[in-house]
Amino acid sequence: MVQVDRRVGLLFAGFLALLGAAGLRAMWLVTLEGHSLRSRAAAQQVQVLKAPARRGTITDRNGVELAVSEDSATVIADPRLVHNPADAAARLAPVIGQPIDTLLRELGDSRRGFVYIARQIDPSRGDAVRKLKIPGVDVTVEPRRRYPHGMLASQLIGAVGTDGYGLAGIEQSRERTLHGVDGTRRVVSDAIGQPVSIVDLKPSSPGRDVRLTIDSAIQEKTESVLDDVGRLYQPKGATAMVMNPRNGEILALSNWPPVDAQHFGDAPAYARQDRAVGASYEPGSTFKAITVSAALQERRATPGSVFDVPPVLQIADRTIHDPETHGYESLTVAQILARSSNIGTDEIGLRLGRYTFDRWVRRFGFGRSTHVDIPGEAAGIVPRPAQYSGSSMGNLPIGQGLAVTPVQMAAAYEAIANDGVAYTPHVIEGGRPRPRRVIDSGTAHEVARMLEGVLGPGGTAPEAKIPGYVLAGKTGTAQKPVAGGYSSTKYVASFIGFAPARNPRLLVAVMVDEPQGSIYGGAVAAPAFQKIASFALPYLRIPPG
Amino acid sequence: MSAAALGAQVKGFHDTEQRFATAVLRLDLLLFLAAIALAATGAYVVGTATRGDIPGNPDYYLTRQAAYCAVGAVLMLGLARFDYSRLREWKLGIYTATIMLILLTLAMGTATRGSKRWINLPFFKLQSSELGKVLLIVALSAFVVDRIRRLSDKETTCRILLLAILPAMLVVMQPDLGSGLVYLSIACAVLFVAGTKWTHFLVIGLVTATSIVGVLVLAPAAGVHVLKQYQVDRLTAFVNPTDDPRRQGYQLKQSQVAIGSGQKTGRGPKGASQTKLDFLPEHHTDFVFSVVGEEFGFVGAAFVLSLYALLIWRALRILTMAKNLYGALIAGGVTAMLMFQVFVNVGMTIGIMPITGVPLPLLSYGGSSVLVTFLAIGLLQSIHVQARASAAAKRRELLA
Repeated sequence: MVQVDRRVGLLFAGFLALLGAAGLRAMWLVTLEGHSLRSRAAAQQVQVLKAPARRGTITDRNGVELAVSEDSATVIADPRLVHNPADAAARLAPVIGQPIDTLLRELGDSRRGFVYIARQIDPSRGDAVRKLKIPGVDVTVEPRRRYPHGMLASQLIGAVGTDGYGLAGIEQSRERTLHGVDGTRRVVSDAIGQPVSIVDLKPSSPGRDVRLTIDSAIQEKTESVLDDVGRLYQPKGATAMVMNPRNGEILALSNWPPVDAQHFGDAPAYARQDRAVGASYEPGSTFKAITVSAALQERRATPGSVFDVPPVLQIADRTIHDPETHGYESLTVAQILARSSNIGTDEIGLRLGRYTFDRWVRRFGFGRSTHVDIPGEAAGIVPRPAQYSGSSMGNLPIGQGLAVTPVQMAAAYEAIANDGVAYTPHVIEGGRPRPRRVIDSGTAHEVARMLEGVLGPGGTAPEAKIPGYVLAGKTGTAQKPVAGGYSSTKYVASFIGFAPARNPRLLVAVMVDEPQGSIYGGAVAAPAFQKIASFALPYLRIPPG
Repeated sequence: MSAAALGAQVKGFHDTEQRFATAVLRLDLLLFLAAIALAATGAYVVGTATRGDIPGNPDYYLTRQAAYCAVGAVLMLGLARFDYSRLREWKLGIYTATIMLILLTLAMGTATRGSKRWINLPFFKLQSSELGKVLLIVALSAFVVDRIRRLSDKETTCRILLLAILPAMLVVMQPDLGSGLVYLSIACAVLFVAGTKWTHFLVIGLVTATSIVGVLVLAPAAGVHVLKQYQVDRLTAFVNPTDDPRRQGYQLKQSQVAIGSGQKTGRGPKGASQTKLDFLPEHHTDFVFSVVGEEFGFVGAAFVLSLYALLIWRALRILTMAKNLYGALIAGGVTAMLMFQVFVNVGMTIGIMPITGVPLPLLSYGGSSVLVTFLAIGLLQSIHVQARASAAAKRRELLA
């Protein structure tokens, strides 16, 4: 038995050695790696996630909700925990309405620990996914943006990205107001990724609402009118703006073609752009009112001053024609405006001289931002007098060779309509727009009276009438500049008008980009003005006059 | 009732009491206490680790494990009073029964397309490979005793090894690789204690090493896949633990995270989030040691390991005391079985041994494992009781 004893000793020694090795290894794990292993345990069990704040609502001036946030379901997955991706994909596909192979690609990618399977779907579908109880697949609540009125004012309102940040329009420019403060929450999950406890570490505070000056009834009317224009003339685009000239409040702002705010990113860039503030164009004849206002204010003419208007006018290398051929005529300033005579307006402009003319163009607000509270505003292009060529004074007074935005145009006419005082155009309620005197009240009245003639007999838009109301306005038909000159097929047809002419409370600007069929402002844009105004005047209870 | 009859009855009572008292006194008390302490720790840890796992029955595993331990303790005490030497006569029957039981499990599992690892009995699922461990110890020891005079023959070593390899291969087919390895270690231990020549062990070692290298490295290189890829992954995973739950090393990583995050004194049963949140797989069976580590830290792990050291020390002491060679060999086999399982299981949880699915004796949840371990300890107690009894008899002879 001596041998047995020795062997037993060996056996025990061997066991103690192994046990010692195990003890040392456990000691190693506990002491040297203990801290990192514990934080590793925490890392895989505990996640600190963003608790998105509820985004503020955007309403119109009467509280009608234009953009609201609601809870939606977002399906996420940890592919490493999905045991049978094929089965999981097959069960998920009908519930969330995605093809099986797309889901399989996401769920089968075991290198990743987190994938989005479906974002911001209806809560009812989220509940259905939860009921499937697929290991590794989880459903979280995420706010999503809804636009109850669909495409209404979509370029103005803009859009919100999936991550809850505004990408365009008011959603972007008022991000800080609307967003609120995101909170954080702590989620403890078990090994198959199911949350077992959710604790709010820092509660989120909801964003504040933004109230617009938009009136959704007028907005809707404006959009339907532009829709008709779109259908009738197949233009590239059309923009209309309705404003209260007394305080600069924008009541409607519409761009055609419309864009679905829910799928904002899918629309072409041109359609997404809020062209009322962002698109520069050569205004053409609507600009003549500015030239005339400047001349009256500078006492270089009165409404009754008579100008000799030849059939053609040569200015440097340019020959100026009038829309309708005529012989030698004598026209008053009022007649020049009513008939939209290019030659007559140039003669008025030449009386001002380039420096005085330029000063007034800039004073009316062209060539710089209007500070409208809509993002993406363009400044337009107004050449400096030093840069003028010999023919510039043949172009600029009739609205060629410079670029303006619709909102600049509306703001300039606002001064004419509002006794010479312009308020900064704005779309968000609550601000205090500062008035700015542009021209004397007397000059403003004289120009406004002359603009009545445009809609009268012998004017360029005689058909635009609203029973009981006296209207004032100006048509514009501008060739679009192309490389090396002006296009003979591409035009911008526009109309800016206000009513009632003697006590203006409504200003409407319409701009149609490249209409087909008819090209004239009087034919394409003036009827749109007429339709919008004939709805808005009684709607706003503006008495006839 | 006459006075004489009464006197006889009183004497009868007295004898019984005497016998019982001597039987209890002759138990190895430390071995008994170590086993009970381990079983109690096991039941407690299994209870806390699985609390609430079965909806509506939060203490499902706890009550079951406690019941298995109670039954096991009773079996242990019963077996202690039984003279193990009589088992030697039944060696062929026991060996045949072991093989038949394993075959039956395989056949039934195949027929029902269910598990091939246990037989469903009322109240209980019998894991035949577990029962096979203790049966094989008893049978192999007997075969070795029979050939003790030809122990230095290569033929003896080969025969004994083959007798172990047959059931080992059958359980590996179940598949239960861990039990198969336990069988082989039992055979080696029995031969070792019997005094088989060192040269034989050298050859066994060389053959084992060659076959491991052959199966894992050479055969795949030559295009022959003896093991399936997942089996190879499982065996080699401990070399590179991983965070990917679909890979074999994941369990290992989670086990190390559990033990490591227990740090020195543990996070307590409530704070043991690795276990509670199911990151630690098989926390009540194969990885129960990691739960001990997470709940009670290094202190808890050291306590459990100390209890095993105590258990093995007593087992080896009984080995040296045995009244005959058969007892020594059985004690050797039981010791090897316990040692192998403790080291392989604990080594697996801390990442120094491959994952083989070997339970931790008395700690891992499972009726078969608990009962068989208690039976094995019962055998040790029987050897101890017999040794003490024969020593006492010898003393009386000397005195007489």
